[in-house]
Amino acid sequence: MTRQKYLFCYLMVAPAMLITTALGIYPMLFSLWMSFVEYDLLRINQFGTPFVGLDNYVEVFSDPRFVQTLFNTIIFTILAVAATLGFGLLLSQVLNANYRGRTAMRMLVCVPWFVPPAVASAIWMWLLNTDRSPINFLLQDAGLITSNIRWLTDSATWGPFSIPMMSIVAVRVWNGLPFAVIFLLAALQSIPRSLYEAAEVDGASLWQKFWYVTLPMLRPVLAILITLLVIGGLGSFEINYIMTGGGPQNLTNIMAVYSYQQAFSFYRFDLASAASGMIFIMTGFISIFYLRSQLKRVA
Amino acid sequence: MTIAVPNALSRPGFFQRLSFANKSDVFTRVLVIAITIALLFYILLPVYWMLKTSFQPNQEIRVLPPIWFPTETTAHPYTNANRLIPMWRYVLNSLFVSVTAAGISTIIACSAAYVLARFRFPGATIILGLILLTNLIPAITRVFPIYFFIQNMGLLNSYVGLILAYVGFSLPFAVLMLRGYFESAAPPELEEAALIDGCGYFEAFWRVILPVCLPGIAAVAIFTFLNAWNDFLWASLLLNQGEMKTIQVGIGDFAQEGGGVQYVNAFMAACVVATVPALVVFVFVQRWLVGGLTAGSVKT
Repeated sequence: MTRQKYLFCYLMVAPAMLITTALGIYPMLFSLWMSFVEYDLLRINQFGTPFVGLDNYVEVFSDPRFVQTLFNTIIFTILAVAATLGFGLLLSQVLNANYRGRTAMRMLVCVPWFVPPAVASAIWMWLLNTDRSPINFLLQDAGLITSNIRWLTDSATWGPFSIPMMSIVAVRVWNGLPFAVIFLLAALQSIPRSLYEAAEVDGASLWQKFWYVTLPMLRPVLAILITLLVIGGLGSFEINYIMTGGGPQNLTNIMAVYSYQQAFSFYRFDLASAASGMIFIMTGFISIFYLRSQLKRVA
Repeated sequence: MTIAVPNALSRPGFFQRLSFANKSDVFTRVLVIAITIALLFYILLPVYWMLKTSFQPNQEIRVLPPIWFPTETTAHPYTNANRLIPMWRYVLNSLFVSVTAAGISTIIACSAAYVLARFRFPGATIILGLILLTNLIPAITRVFPIYFFIQNMGLLNSYVGLILAYVGFSLPFAVLMLRGYFESAAPPELEEAALIDGCGYFEAFWRVILPVCLPGIAAVAIFTFLNAWNDFLWASLLLNQGEMKTIQVGIGDFAQEGGGVQYVNAFMAACVVATVPALVVFVFVQRWLVGGLTAGSVKT
């Protein structure tokens, strides 16, 4: 009976495992291998793919554009995660409160969710068009600026920050916010009401209730959400690729875009793999920690 | 109710517990309301601007400062968009590829998710861990080998190649979501009864569990459809020639060519068209959102 059961289990799981291995695990490891060999499509017929150790990593790290890209990716991720969390916490509270029109509010907040990233990039490109951006005209009418802000092309920088980077982060946050809000809302709904009632008896203010009841109760869910957002941010691609292609002057370039361009513009699949290898190492490291804590809870 | 707030917001309910609250709560509430209004503007403006532009005639778009509320609307941008790119053909391509990929990955995911949810067998934890890992790590870390793999099979610029990539991409997600669903929606007593009645394992799964879980399975199918529909990265690599492109790649091309202001209403019309199918199916899965999305991640 047990043998029959195991046989059934393995047969049922086999197709999924085969595909996950062939199109998930194996390509990831193969990509990692590509980062340790020479894999230049323009030279591959003549020289093959000799093992070069860490040369590809040395080469990308000696490219100032790559180092800048790595920093951009980290800053992009930190900003996007922080804004998504801040806005998400606030909006999930608003959507959880009791008032008329709550359902309508929930639907409105979810609107960006069903906008595909390519479309989100396209809409925002038009919305942030330097000469015709309604936001520029609003700001001018309010007397806050005198000349139009060049949202996607201004190359002035303040340390690691620049206007195009901020614009890109705003688009990323816009597209990803509904997920975070709904995720947090689900968690808020599972906090027992009695905790708030007890806090009210003690005369706690709204802020104190948030700080001493809501936040501690949300901690496990917040850890999961932050992990997912950080991993998503580090591997982000579409918005930067479509809106700016990494420009101006590499200011909005991030790892995935750099990797894509190395591969399909310069045919240097080894350097591309070294860049995506960096993403693999960072996200893999985070994922393993995440999986360990998750699987421990099941066992 | 002595504080000065806009009428609509001072309805009972919004401030129902105000009497309990101290002074600083009023300040907190007003601040929260103000930020919420600003955020709503941020969330809704792009969508409004897309819709508005897609129905505006060219001469109105050229006007500066931009017109917020159009006085004249036209459907011309929609026909014009189809002249600039074969828009409807792209939509059909996207539909075909996404529906097929969603169907295949849901069927494969169903069987795997069921045994992973229900049975303990040697290696189950490792299999689950590998699926979770594949789901978590971004796609860019595996696109190059898959690109060569598809190229070597002669499937570059074919629907089959893209569908294959989508199945690989969506499957881990579908397995995790369905596993959570099977755990919560189908009580083990169901197939225990069937097994006692002499059903085989597969028969119990096929005749008893699947029919009960059909709504959840449909929701997962829709999510995998959305994954494929929204994708730009895979489609831009594997299928970027002529009339076979998906609509997302069409939008990307449109964006890269720039096109200038004279085509922007057509561009926005294409964006609306690329969003509507996602919106329609989204409405169907709305009530599954919370449970479904947390199933894969929170409960592993």
